[in-house]
Amino acid sequence: MGIVGRIGLRLLQIVPTVALVAVLMFALMRLLPGDPAIQLLGDRATDASLARLRHEMGFDRSVSAQFWSYLEHVATLRLGDSITMHVPVTRLILDRLPITLMLTGMATVLALLIAVPLAFVAALREGGAVDLAIRMLGQVGLSMPVFYLGLILLITLAAGLGWFPVGGIGGGFVENLYYLFLPALTLALSLAMVLMRNLREALIEVLHAEFVQFATAKGLRRRLVLGRHVLRNALVPTVTLLGLQIGSLVGGAVITESVFAIPGVGRLMIDSIFARDYAVVQGLTIVLAVLVSLVFLLVDTVQGLLDPRQEAA
Amino acid sequence: MSEVAAAAPALAGAATPGRTRRLPRLRPGPLLGAAIVLLLLVCAVAPDWVAPYSPLKFDYRGTLRPPSWAHPFGTDNFGRDILSRVIWATRIDMQIAIFSTLFPAVFGTVAGCLVGYFGGVADLLFRRLVDLVVTVPFLVLVIAIVAVLGPGLVNMYVAVSAVGWIFYARLMRGEILAQKRRDYAAAGRVMGYGWPRIVFRHLLPNAISPVLVFWMTDMALCILLGSSLGYLGLGAQPPTAEWGVLIADGKNFMTTAWWMSIFPGMAIVLAGIGFSLLGDGVAALVRRR
Amino acid sequence: MIQRRQALKGLAGLMAGSFAATTLSGGARAASVTRGGTFTFARAADCLYLDPVHTAQNADIWISLNLYDTLIQPTADGKGLEPGLAESYAVSEDGKEVTLKIRPGLKFADGSPLALSDIKWSLDRARDKATGGDFQFLLEAIGEVVLAPPATVVLKMSHPDPAILEALATFNAGIMSEKLVMAAPGADLEAKSKSFAEHPVGSGPFVLGAWTHNTEMVLTRNPHYWKDGVDGEKLPYLDRVRFLIIPDDATRILKLRAGEIDGTEFVPFSRVAELKADPKLDMVLYPSAKVIYFNLNNRPTFKDGRKNPMADVRVRQALNHATDKAALIQVLSYGFGTPQQTYMPTSTPYAYAHGEPYPYDVAKAKKLLADAGYAKGFTVSCMALAGNVDDVAQLSALQQMWGEVGVQVKIKQLENATRLTRFKAGDYEMRTSLWTNDIKDPNEITSYFAYYPTVHSNRSGFRDTTIEALFEASQKELDPKKREAQYTEIQQRYIAAAPIVFLLEVPYPIALARKVRDFVQIPLGNNIFLNTHLEG
Repeated sequence: MGIVGRIGLRLLQIVPTVALVAVLMFALMRLLPGDPAIQLLGDRATDASLARLRHEMGFDRSVSAQFWSYLEHVATLRLGDSITMHVPVTRLILDRLPITLMLTGMATVLALLIAVPLAFVAALREGGAVDLAIRMLGQVGLSMPVFYLGLILLITLAAGLGWFPVGGIGGGFVENLYYLFLPALTLALSLAMVLMRNLREALIEVLHAEFVQFATAKGLRRRLVLGRHVLRNALVPTVTLLGLQIGSLVGGAVITESVFAIPGVGRLMIDSIFARDYAVVQGLTIVLAVLVSLVFLLVDTVQGLLDPRQEAA
Repeated sequence: MSEVAAAAPALAGAATPGRTRRLPRLRPGPLLGAAIVLLLLVCAVAPDWVAPYSPLKFDYRGTLRPPSWAHPFGTDNFGRDILSRVIWATRIDMQIAIFSTLFPAVFGTVAGCLVGYFGGVADLLFRRLVDLVVTVPFLVLVIAIVAVLGPGLVNMYVAVSAVGWIFYARLMRGEILAQKRRDYAAAGRVMGYGWPRIVFRHLLPNAISPVLVFWMTDMALCILLGSSLGYLGLGAQPPTAEWGVLIADGKNFMTTAWWMSIFPGMAIVLAGIGFSLLGDGVAALVRRR
Repeated sequence: MIQRRQALKGLAGLMAGSFAATTLSGGARAASVTRGGTFTFARAADCLYLDPVHTAQNADIWISLNLYDTLIQPTADGKGLEPGLAESYAVSEDGKEVTLKIRPGLKFADGSPLALSDIKWSLDRARDKATGGDFQFLLEAIGEVVLAPPATVVLKMSHPDPAILEALATFNAGIMSEKLVMAAPGADLEAKSKSFAEHPVGSGPFVLGAWTHNTEMVLTRNPHYWKDGVDGEKLPYLDRVRFLIIPDDATRILKLRAGEIDGTEFVPFSRVAELKADPKLDMVLYPSAKVIYFNLNNRPTFKDGRKNPMADVRVRQALNHATDKAALIQVLSYGFGTPQQTYMPTSTPYAYAHGEPYPYDVAKAKKLLADAGYAKGFTVSCMALAGNVDDVAQLSALQQMWGEVGVQVKIKQLENATRLTRFKAGDYEMRTSLWTNDIKDPNEITSYFAYYPTVHSNRSGFRDTTIEALFEASQKELDPKKREAQYTEIQQRYIAAAPIVFLLEVPYPIALARKVRDFVQIPLGNNIFLNTHLEG
C-alpha cells in the first residue's frame, strides 16, 4: 500500500475513534453526580424554575432518548447551544480553538527548540558535569506545577520587568505571538524536559549502537554521523512521545489558560465540566478528538519517513 | 560483517563494545538518586520522627514568619511550621508517585510487549483503544473520572491507572516493534527459542530503558498531576498536607512570603531529581546487561 | 464594627481624592470632572444571563442596574432610596396603593421612547409566577399595575407590603422595552427574552457593547440616560466600562499592579494589607451585606438514616460556643471581618445587633455536649467547595477548635454541582456557606433562613411555628415600630435555637487605580459605574 493509501485508511479509522470518544464522554457526563439545573440556577432557585430549565434542556427525558438525539445531532454536525452561555457551541469553539492551537503550537516549537540542543549536548557529554547540570535543570523545569511556573514568569518577566503583558490575548496574529509567548513557554518547559530526557536516553543508546561505532570507525565525519545516523534514529521515540504528549499539552493548557487569563478551549472544557454544560463538553470532546487523531496521523507519517523500516505499524 | 554476526554479541548479553564492556561501577549520579529516594522514604514512613512540629498546629501569633532557626522553612499564614508540613507531605506524595504509576508501568509494559510482538487482531484493538484514550486530554479525562468517583486520592489512583497504562504500552510497543526487526530477534527465532523467551529475555531488556526513564519521569509527573487536582480540590483532602497543595496555598503569598511556596516546590524538584537519577542508573544497568 | 469604620475610611479617602463636591449621592455644586475614557475592571467570573428577571447569580445581579434602570434607586451608600425613573413616589396610608410619577422624556439606550406601557409590561412580567423567575416573590404583593397617563403609574396592592419601595429598587424590577424584547427572534416570550438577553438594550446608564463569554464584556455609555452629572450634563461620565474575566486572583492583582487594568474585585484578604501600602492604588473595603456561616442539618436523622446529634439544640449551641470566631476572622479575613451577630448582615434594617450571640467558651461547650449525652463528642462531615482556599482554611481551623470538645470534623470537598444538589436534597451534615442580601429589607433573608415553608429554613430542617406566624404578620405590617418588634422576636428565637454556626461578616475588597473616582459597590453588592470618572 502506498503512503497515500495508508493515510486514507488512517483518516477512515478516525471516524470510529471519534464516535467512541463521543459515546465515552456522553456516558461520563451522565455519570457525574449533581444536577446541571441546580448548578446553573443556584440553590436559591425555585422548583418551578428548575423544572422549566430541565425541560428546556431536555434533561427530563430518559437518558436513552437524550442519547439518541445526541447521536443524531453529532451525525448532522449540530452541536447545540451552551446551557450556561446561551450561545451555539460551534461559535464558542470557533472563537476559542484558534487561540489554543496557537498556544500549543508555539509550545511545541519552543519545547523542541529547547529539548533537542540540550539533549544533544547532554548525550555527547554523558556522565559529565555538563550532562548533570542539564539534567538537574531539566528536573527543576519538570517538577514545577504549571500554575506556579506561570506565576513566577508573570511576576518576574511581565509584572516585574515589563517585557511581556500580564496575561490576556492581543488583537491579531502578530500581537498574539507576543501575548502568548510566556504562556507557551510555561507550557513548553515541562514538555521540553520530558522530551529532552527521552531524546538524551535514545541518543545515548544510538551512540552506543554498533552501526554508529562502525560508521565512526569507518572514518565518516563525526558531524555527518551525528546528523544522519544518530539524530535520525533517536528521533523515532521522541516523535512518538511528542505525539503522546499532545493530549497532556492540551491538559496543561487548561491550567495555563486560567493563570494567564487566555480564552482558549482548555479553560472552556474545565469550566464546562464543572458547570455540567453537557453540550459544550460533548461538542468540544469531539472536536478535540478529531484534532488529536489528525496529530497522531501526522506523527505516524513522520515516523514512517524517519524510519522507513517501520511500516505503518 | 554479516548482519547476523553483528547481532550475535547483543544476544549473548554483552551489549556494546568499548566503554560499557568494563565492569559496572557505582557512579555518583545513581547513588545520589538512591540516597534522595531513601531520604524521602524515611520521611514518608516516619514523619513524626523527622518533623520538629505538628503539621497541623495553628499559631495565630506566629503567622508568616520568615525562615529562622526555630522554623527553618518559616511558617505559613496560620503559623504552621512549613518544614513539618513539607515532611508530612512526603508520605502522601510518595503514595501518589508509587500508587499511580505501579499498575500502569507493569501492566502497560507487558501489554505493550505482547501486542508489539504478536501484532494481529490484538494489536489492532489495542491501537483503537490507544486512539480512543489519547484523543481525550489526559487531565480532562482524569478530572472527569475523579468527578464521577468523587474527589480523593484513591479515586485519583484509579483514574490515573485506568488511563495511564496506555502510555507505557504504546511506548513499549513502539520499542518492541523496532527491536523485533533487529537482527538478534530474528536470530532468536532462527535458533528456535519460544516467544516468552524472545520477548521477555531478549526484546524486553533491550527495549525497556525508555520505559524505565519514562516511569521515573512519570512519578514526578503524577506528583504534579496530584497537585493540579489538589489545586482544583479533587486530590488530597485537607488537612492532609501535600506538596502541590502547599504550593497552591502559597500562591497568593508569592510576593510577600516566598518561603510558603518555594520550599514545597524544592521538595518536588528534589523528589524528581532523585527519581530521575535512580531511573538513569537503572536504565544504564539494564543496558549494560 | 472595625470593618465598617475601616471601610468608611477607605470611602472617605476615595471621596477626598475626588474633590469634595463630587459626593456619592450627587452633590449640587458644580465641579470639574473629567468626562470620557474607558474603565477596565477585572472580574473573577463572567455574567451568564443579562435578563433582570431570570438572573440568579451574583455576577449577573451585581451588574444588572447598569443596564436596566429601576423606578426607584438605592442611594450610593446603599442606606436609603432615591428617585429613579420615577421622579417621585408615595405609598398610601393603608398601604394598598403605590403612586409613581414617571419622568418625562425617558428613552431607552437605542433612542426609542420609554412608555408607561413598558413599565407595566416589565413589572407584570417580573411579578407573574409563571414568568417572574426566582425573585418574583419580592413583587408578589402587587395586585395590578394601573397606568394613569400622561405620567403616573399606580400599583394596586393585593395586600400591604412594607418592603414594596425597596423591591422596586431591586434588579428584577428593572425596566425593559416591550417592543425591543418582542422584536427579538424567538417563537414565544421565553425564547424572545433569551435571545434579547444576548444583545440587551435597556434603560440603564450603560448598554452592552460587545460580549465574548468568559473573556470580555464591554458596556458603552447610554447617550439617552436621564440623570445629570455634577457638571450639569448627562451621566454617565465614562465612555466605556470594559470587564475582563480573569478567574485567578493572583493574575488579576498582577495585572492591576502592572497598570494594565484600572480595578479588580474579590481581592483576597491576604493581599489587602500589601495593596493598601501601594501608593499607586486605592484598596477599598466597601461595607457589605454579606455573612459567612456554617449551615447545620437540624433534622432528627441524616438522609442515610443515622441519628443526627445536631438535632439537639444543646449540641448546636455547644458547636457555636466551641467556635473561636476571633481566630476565624483572622483566618478568613485577616482581621478585616467582624463577628456575625444574628443571621442577617448588620446593615439589614431591624438587624438584632447585640454582640456575638455565642462567645468562644470551651468549658460551656463541653458542658452542653455532656448534657446532651455527647460528652465524648461525635464525628461530623462538612461539605466544602472543591478548590476553594477559604473553605479549606476555615475548616482546617475548625477541625482544631472542635477537636478540643471531642467533635471530629471530616472535610468533604465536592464540586459545586454535586454540593448544591446534595444540599437541596437535605443530604448533608453541615456545609460552609455565605449569603448576600439582594434587597435592603430583612424579608428576603428571613424567608430563606427562618421561615420553614420557603426552603425548609435554608435547607436545615429547622422549624419554629412562632417564627412563621411572626414573619407572616411582619410581611403585612406597615408600622415600622411593630415590624421591628416582630423581627426582634424572630431573631431572638432564631439565635436561641442556633440552627447555624454564626461566624462573621466581611466587606467587599476592591482594589482600584488612583485615577478611578466614585466607583461604588453598595452593600447589596451592586457595582455602580454611574458616577465613576477617571482623573489624571
